[in-house]
Amino acid sequence: MPTLLEIERAVRAALLDPGNDDALRHIVADGIAPENRLAIYRNTYVSGAVKALELNFPAVRNLVGNEFFEGAARIYIDANPPESACLDDYGAGFPDFLADFPPAQSLAYLGDVARLEWMVSRVLHAADTPSLDVARLSAVPPEDHGRIRFAPSPSAGLIRADCPADEIWRAVLDGDDDAMAAVDPGAGPIWLLVRRGTMGIDVARLDEADARFLLLLIDGTPLDDALAMAGDIDGPAVLARFLTGGVFAGFDLQKEQGASR
Amino acid sequence: MMTSPKPSSGPVPASAGIGLRFPHHRAVAETAPAIAWLEVHTENYVGGGPSVSTLEAIRRDYPISCHGVGLSLGSAEGIEKRHLARIGDVIERFEPGLVSEHLSWSVSGGTYLADLLPLPMTEEALDIVCRNVETVQDRLKRRILVENPSSYLRYRHSTIPEAEFIAAVAGRTGCGILCDVNNIYVSAHNHGWDARAYLAALPAEAVGEIHLAGHSARRLENGRTILIDDHGSRVIPEVWALYEAALQRFGPVPSLIEWDTNVPALDVLLDEAAGAAARLTAFGKENGNADAA
Repeated sequence: MPTLLEIERAVRAALLDPGNDDALRHIVADGIAPENRLAIYRNTYVSGAVKALELNFPAVRNLVGNEFFEGAARIYIDANPPESACLDDYGAGFPDFLADFPPAQSLAYLGDVARLEWMVSRVLHAADTPSLDVARLSAVPPEDHGRIRFAPSPSAGLIRADCPADEIWRAVLDGDDDAMAAVDPGAGPIWLLVRRGTMGIDVARLDEADARFLLLLIDGTPLDDALAMAGDIDGPAVLARFLTGGVFAGFDLQKEQGASR
Repeated sequence: MMTSPKPSSGPVPASAGIGLRFPHHRAVAETAPAIAWLEVHTENYVGGGPSVSTLEAIRRDYPISCHGVGLSLGSAEGIEKRHLARIGDVIERFEPGLVSEHLSWSVSGGTYLADLLPLPMTEEALDIVCRNVETVQDRLKRRILVENPSSYLRYRHSTIPEAEFIAAVAGRTGCGILCDVNNIYVSAHNHGWDARAYLAALPAEAVGEIHLAGHSARRLENGRTILIDDHGSRVIPEVWALYEAALQRFGPVPSLIEWDTNVPALDVLLDEAAGAAARLTAFGKENGNADAA
């Protein structure tokens, strides 16, 4: 008699690969072939995963059409089955998959739009965390400012795109054909800051220097080092914009001793 | 939990409720429809953001039930600790009146198979399910309800009738039973079971909730039909009849309309719920309790 573990491994194998027949001998036929019974479950599983990708990548789906999207999604799902029962988390690898997907090569911007949608989804579903306490920050004595290390908020994220993914994303979701026709796919690269605000998701462009400075801060680089590495930017002005923008969740001070890496 | 500053959503009454899905968030929040309680899929409220805030607002006005689809109570590998912790956070946040899951599995080898997969009805599986239910109840510090699934296959080595299996889980772990009468109807058709005998085999005192939903029929090449629990249509008369039999057997319990595919306008759901409410009221009158429903 097979153990439960053996049954679950066999059924899992059949759902992930319909050609696998490990589970068939354990299933009662009763007028319907065991493979057809398993196919009902495989169908529900795959459609559930496709649906999750549709919800996370609505603009991509719109750009390529339902049929193409579902075809690509099924190939992705077979190679990258979901690992979490929270399907909002499903699809982290889908943007890279699309960027390398041979049938999508004529849409050079598809990977970038997918990366933007994935970041939007991450930011949308991120845990609710308090924003940076600006009053606490202003209490830090000036001589310690250089040692401030910011902690990024989970409901904000920064991405780089080779094409104007934000314009394409907006035009597609608004169904604005004129805006779509006006997009110059070569007008990149760009940096996009994605944030969750009280009014919903905000996608804003940053110039290259500001973005690289922000990236250093997000990575936990102490303020003085980040300013030194950032080059020609108006540090205080850029910082002021980020501090109130929900980009950071908090901060700490780098220890004075043994600070070098 | 006693120190929570939030008003509790309160116990779920023995009345008719509906499954709350994203397309109806706004309508429910803005129009406050007359419905006794709402049930949500727990996994949809992990994390934060606008849908979580909307539910926080809605729960001030309605008792809430959290119905999980991903704990995989039947996993031989045990309950995934990370997922259980995330579910625990949701339960702590919303303080639902009821918490439920399914008699099925969906996780194996680190893969989430996004369906409610059937278990072999064996003593070994019974031990594993009981252990997993205990793990969940210990972590959540509360009793859960376990729902009978719809199924499309049976295993050769099963030895325990499903109703007896779920009754044993309730008896051994102290969990309650979520009796889905549509699932009983679907599985009874698919496997040639007697739906009334299934109801009769459930311990009445353990049944804490009833689910109602629509299903579809798929005709196979050999002329057989298999019923699919797709939650995509109205409850059929035969399932309403089974619901009435369930009320006779279990007494009035919270009763829910589920609709997950081709989700209709909110009014259609409320109309279906009115069907359940009318039967609860009729049951109450027959049994000398005018307040039921």
